[in-house]
Amino acid sequence: MTVALIRFKLAAYTRSHRLLQPLFVLVLMLMIFYAVRAPADDAAGSYANSAGLLIVVFAWAARGLLDTEPDAQRVVSMAAAGGPRREITAGLGACAAVNTGLAALAVVVPLLIGFQGVPPAAMIAQGVLLHLLAVATGIALGALSSRPIMPSPAASMPALFGGFAALLLVSYTPVGAVLIPIMRWMRAANDGTLGADLPLLALPTLLWSAAGLVAYALLRRTRP
Amino acid sequence: MRLSTVSFRYTRRGPWILRDVDLDVQPGEVLEVTGRNGAGKSTFLRLLAGVLRPTAGSITGRPARVGYAPETFPAGQPFTAAAYLAAMARVRGVSGHGDLADRLGLTPLLDRPLGELSKGSAHKVGLVQALLGPAEDRLLILDEPFAGLDERARGELAMIVAEVAAAGGVVVVSDHQGDLREVTARRTLTVADTMVTAGAAGEPEEPLAVVEVVAAASAAAGLAARLRADGHQVRVRPATAALPEAAETKEGPRV
Repeated sequence: MTVALIRFKLAAYTRSHRLLQPLFVLVLMLMIFYAVRAPADDAAGSYANSAGLLIVVFAWAARGLLDTEPDAQRVVSMAAAGGPRREITAGLGACAAVNTGLAALAVVVPLLIGFQGVPPAAMIAQGVLLHLLAVATGIALGALSSRPIMPSPAASMPALFGGFAALLLVSYTPVGAVLIPIMRWMRAANDGTLGADLPLLALPTLLWSAAGLVAYALLRRTRP
Repeated sequence: MRLSTVSFRYTRRGPWILRDVDLDVQPGEVLEVTGRNGAGKSTFLRLLAGVLRPTAGSITGRPARVGYAPETFPAGQPFTAAAYLAAMARVRGVSGHGDLADRLGLTPLLDRPLGELSKGSAHKVGLVQALLGPAEDRLLILDEPFAGLDERARGELAMIVAEVAAAGGVVVVSDHQGDLREVTARRTLTVADTMVTAGAAGEPEEPLAVVEVVAAASAAAGLAARLRADGHQVRVRPATAALPEAAETKEGPRV
């Protein structure tokens, strides 16, 4: 039932053409990132920059997907699927599906046209992991700025883009190490220490993303 | 299904919408929920549907299948009526929508995009999706279901409500139009000032039954009129097949 609801939400999202907005921005950002072909042995640095900055695109896509349905449809879907938990899970599952596709583009396109050669497999794997971390962060940010939580676009759009800017700025400070350490991804990748540092960088990212999603689910209890 | 001291408010410091609501609902009951605008009827219906969780208290014994038809169907969705109903059937794990679209007069409009349907027709799509699946072990929640429906669909919907109740389902209807007055075994609940109080009952202890009658087409109108005059709900439709021979000889009420 949850899978059927994910399919329904994805169908509504793609038919609404809302996907085009974050997709265009993603392509534009990739064109800027890889305007000059990066050396293959510097792929980790390029991937880290890409993952860090694409968080806002993943968040935008997640918010757009969750906002596609009219409010009453969410209530109908909750009843049909057998409870709010399934509807919320399906919404986040659909966000994960869309953003995994966008992240795949961000990893694969540079392999085809963005690098001067084929990067080492370990760097490609790091690129995949960093983009998955960015997807998790983006979904949490997008969900928390979606319409059930923030009904007014005047509040939700600044919350999404301001939230991303705040994450980025805070990650420059010492506190950033225990929040979402976006700048530290980039530095570690450029310093060549990403392989060793990745677990420490991934842990706070995943914990905060999970905390964001739990907060979203709790808030949805009175905001169907 | 039992509500035990159910209270609800939307925010921690917000006003209570409902307080200490106790209610026992038996299978086969039809509940008619009334109350002025803003009294909390829709919140009450959403609590019953399990869409909202009580702030305090508990709701237990909710039937496995819940159908919810909102007061205004969300027609702004990029599907045809048929594609939407097929998707909702898949979400429920059932196939097709049986004769529901036919009965409510929706069949000719199934290929239309939801956004192009009239308000009444879109409302029928909302009703059909709520009714998908078998009637047994069902909780059917209809928020102002008769508003905007044509006369035939109103009569048909009242019949469907009676059928769901007859199959042991629970039906909760928020109704300003009084279209349920012919449904016996209904209980009226009034939502006001954070309380839900039981009002006048129709004939609460009287169970419902569906009696199928096959008659010559020329005699159908007269027969229907006589049965309506006796206070029954009647629906006339073309016979698709003769009733099984065995059914006619059984002792049961199937005639």
